[in-house]
Amino acid sequence: MTTLQRLLLASAMALGPVATGAHAADLVVGFTLDADTLDPANHRKRETETIIRNMYDGLLTRDANMVVVPEIAESMTQISPTVYDFKIRPGIKFHDGTAMTAEDVKFTLDRVTVENAMEGTTSPRQSLMGPVASVEVVGGDTVRITLKEPWPILPAMLPNQQIVSKAFVEANGSAGIATAENGTGPFKLVEWRKGESVILERFADYYGGASDIPPVGPACVDRVIFKIIPESASRVAALLAGDVHIINELPAFSIAQVNANNGTHVMTVNGTRSFFVAMNLEGEYFDDPLVRQAAAHAIDKNLLIDKILGGNAAPINGILSPDAFGASELPSYGYDPELAKKLLADAGFPNGIDIVMDTEGAFKDTAEAIASLLTKAGIRTTVAVGESAQLTAKWRVQGKAPKTGDMYFSSWGNGSLDPFDIFTPTHRTNDRGNSAGYANPAVDALLDAAATELDVAKRAGMYREAELLINADLPYLYLWVPQDIYGVSDRVTGWQPSADSRINLHDACLK
Amino acid sequence: MSLGKLIERLLQLVPVLLGVSLIVFVMMALTPGDPVQIMIGDQNITPEQEDALRRGLGLDRPIVERFFVFLGNAMQGDFGQSFYHRRPVADVIAERLPATIELSLVALIVALVTAIPLGVLAAIRKNSIFDKLATVGSLLGVSLPGFWFGILLIMLFAVQWHILPVSGRIGYSSEIETITGFLLIDTLLRGNLPAFWDAVKHLILPAVTLGLPMTAILMRVTRTSMLEVLRQDYVTFADAKGLSRRRVLFRHALKNALIPTVSVAAIETGSLLGGNMIVETVFGWPGLGRLVVESIFLRNYPLVQAAVLLYAVIYVGLNFFADILYTILNPRVKL
Repeated sequence: MTTLQRLLLASAMALGPVATGAHAADLVVGFTLDADTLDPANHRKRETETIIRNMYDGLLTRDANMVVVPEIAESMTQISPTVYDFKIRPGIKFHDGTAMTAEDVKFTLDRVTVENAMEGTTSPRQSLMGPVASVEVVGGDTVRITLKEPWPILPAMLPNQQIVSKAFVEANGSAGIATAENGTGPFKLVEWRKGESVILERFADYYGGASDIPPVGPACVDRVIFKIIPESASRVAALLAGDVHIINELPAFSIAQVNANNGTHVMTVNGTRSFFVAMNLEGEYFDDPLVRQAAAHAIDKNLLIDKILGGNAAPINGILSPDAFGASELPSYGYDPELAKKLLADAGFPNGIDIVMDTEGAFKDTAEAIASLLTKAGIRTTVAVGESAQLTAKWRVQGKAPKTGDMYFSSWGNGSLDPFDIFTPTHRTNDRGNSAGYANPAVDALLDAAATELDVAKRAGMYREAELLINADLPYLYLWVPQDIYGVSDRVTGWQPSADSRINLHDACLK
Repeated sequence: MSLGKLIERLLQLVPVLLGVSLIVFVMMALTPGDPVQIMIGDQNITPEQEDALRRGLGLDRPIVERFFVFLGNAMQGDFGQSFYHRRPVADVIAERLPATIELSLVALIVALVTAIPLGVLAAIRKNSIFDKLATVGSLLGVSLPGFWFGILLIMLFAVQWHILPVSGRIGYSSEIETITGFLLIDTLLRGNLPAFWDAVKHLILPAVTLGLPMTAILMRVTRTSMLEVLRQDYVTFADAKGLSRRRVLFRHALKNALIPTVSVAAIETGSLLGGNMIVETVFGWPGLGRLVVESIFLRNYPLVQAAVLLYAVIYVGLNFFADILYTILNPRVKL
C-alpha cells in the first residue's frame, strides 16, 4: 500500500461510517427531479405532481392498475353527457386542521379552469381539464362540473388536479402556496430544501384515502423524503449504498446489478409511453407506401426489446399501449429483410436508399440498433442526434411549414391511457404531435367523433377502426411501450409502482 | 490602485453586461425550440388554450419588445418570472447560488492546498520519479471527465466503504437554520457541530471531483514557474551566501514563483462554475449549475438570461480581482 493509499484510508476511517441519523420509519425515495413549485395548479411536470400528490388528494385518484376511483369525492354521477356530480366525502381535514368543504373543491377547480383566475394569470394546467364551462356547489356537499361539450375522459383526467384550501390560498396568495402547502393528503410538508430534498411527515388526522384502495387510514411510515438525484448512476449507487429505499427511472442495463445486490430488487410496471419512428410522408422516399412497408419488415422488434430494453417492453402494432382504452389486436409486419429489399426494389430503389434518422441523445443507442437493422435491408440509415426542443421544432410543424428530414425516432406519453391524448395529437391532420405529416380524412373523422362519443363500446369500435386504417397506411413504425423500472430496497413493503409514474407512498411500509 | 481606476474598471462592466444580455437574448431566440410546446409536452390541447399559455408567459409579444422590456426590468433588478417555478427568477437563483459558491470555494481550497506543495516538490526534484508521477497525475487530472471520476469516487467511498454519502449537500435529518446560506458557516455559527460535520462529509467528494482539473493545472503552473525562479541569479546568490536550502526555497523562491499560480487560480475559478454543472448533476448538489442546464433544455428564457448575466458578472469580477492581486504580488506591474 502506498503512502497516498494509507493516507486516504486513514482519513476515510477518521470520518467514520456515514451516520444517517434516520428514524427507523423514514422512507427515502431517490428521485430524478425536484418539484418546480408546491402549487398544484401552477406547474406542468409529472415529477412535480408526483411529489405534490403525497401532500394533496384529488376528487378522484387511480389505483396502481390505473383504475379511476373516488378519493375526496364519495361518489361520481354523470347526470347528462355534459354534467357530472361529485358528492364530497364528509370529515376531511386540511393539514392546518380546518375542515375541507365543497367550496374548497369549487375554488380549486375554478382556479385551474377560469381564465386569469390566479391573480391575473391562467393556470398552465387549464388544458388538462378540457372544455369545462362551470363548476358549482349544489346542495352544500356536491360539486357539479358542467362541460361545454361532451368529453368522456374527464374522470380519467381529474386525478391530475389536487384540492387546495380556499382560505389558505386567499390568505397566502399564489406566492405563498408555491413554497408552502395545506393539503388533505397522507403527508404534510416539514421542509423543502430546494434542489436537494422534500421532507414530509405523516398527517395523523388523515381521513384514510380512497376507500377502494386498501389499506385505509393514516400512512404507514413516519416520514417520507424525496431526495433529488438527477444522475441515474448516482441514483443506483444511492440505492446500493442503502441511502435510499426506492429509485425511479432505473436504466435497463442496471437491472442485473440491482437484482444481484443483497437487499435490493427491481420492480416494473407497464408504462404509458409509446415509442415509434415517424417517417416523413412529405419527404423524398417515405411518401411511397412500399418504402414504408419495407422499413416495417426490416425491423426485428423482439430482438431490440430483448437486447436493448432487457425484455422490459411490450411490442405494439399501432399507437396505443396494450393497456389503453380501445386497444386491440392488429396485423403485424413481421421481420423479413428479404421481403423488405424486394419491396424497395418494387418501389424503384433496387440499390437501396440513404436516409437520416433524427433522435435525442438519450435514445442514441436504440436508434443506432434500429438503423443497423434498416441498413441490412437496404435502407442505409445514419443516426443524427439532436436536442429535444430542436427536434420538436423540426418535426412537429403542425402544417405551418414544409416538413424536412427522413425519419424521427421518438415517443409520445399517454398518462391517462385514453386514446384522446395520444391518438389524436399524433395522427390527426396537422395536429401538434403528427411528426409523420399523416393526413387521412377518414381517420380525422373517426378521431373527432370518438372524442365526444359517450357510448363506451361504440367509442372503442371507432378507435379500432382508426387503428386498422393507420396500420394499413403505416405513417409510423410502431415499436414498443417500455416498462417503468424501479429499484427497491427489500425493506419496502406495501408499495407497488403505478403505470402513470406517480409514486404514492401512503401504503408503503418499511420493515 | 486609485479610486479613479476602480471606477473606470467598474464602468467597463456596463458595456460587457449589455453585450452579454443582447447575445444571450438573441441566441436563445434563434435556437429552435418553443417553450410553450415543450411545456405542454405530450397532450392534446386546443389552439385557444395554447395561445392562453403563450400569453401567460409573455411570449406573444415581438422579440424586440421583449428584449427592451427585459432590459428595462433588469436594470431595476427584476429579471421576470421563471416559466416553470412561477416565482421571480432572482428568488430561484438566490436559493441555489450559495450552494454553488460554497462548493466552488472549497474546490478551490482543495486545489490550492494540494497543487502548490506538489508543484514545488516536482520542481525541486526535477526529473525524479516523483516529478514524472506528478506529470502523469496532472495529465490524468485534466483528462478525467468529472462525471466518470465522480461516479468512481461514489462507488468506492459510498457504495463500497460506506464512509461518505452519495449525494446532496447535507443529510435530511440534520437541521438547517439559514443565516448566510453557506452551510459550513451557518452550522458553525449555530454551534451545531454534528450538522457541520455532516455538511463536510457531503462536500468532500464533489469538491475533490470539481477541484481535480484545477489541481492539475495549478500544479503544472507552480512547477514551471518554480523552476524558472530557481534559475534566477538572486537564488544562486542566496545559495552562495550560505542561506539554508529551506530558507532559499520558501522565503525567496516560492514567493515569486506563486505570482503566476495565484493569477491563474483566480481566473480558473471562473471555469469552476462551468465544471459545476456536471459535478452538481452527478452528486445531486442543489446548486445553480444544474438549474441552468435544466433551464436551457426547457427553454426557460428568463432564468437562463439572468443566470448567464450573473456568470458574466462573476467572471469579470474574478478577472478584475486577479489583476488587483497581480499588482499587489508584483509591484512592478501597474493597472
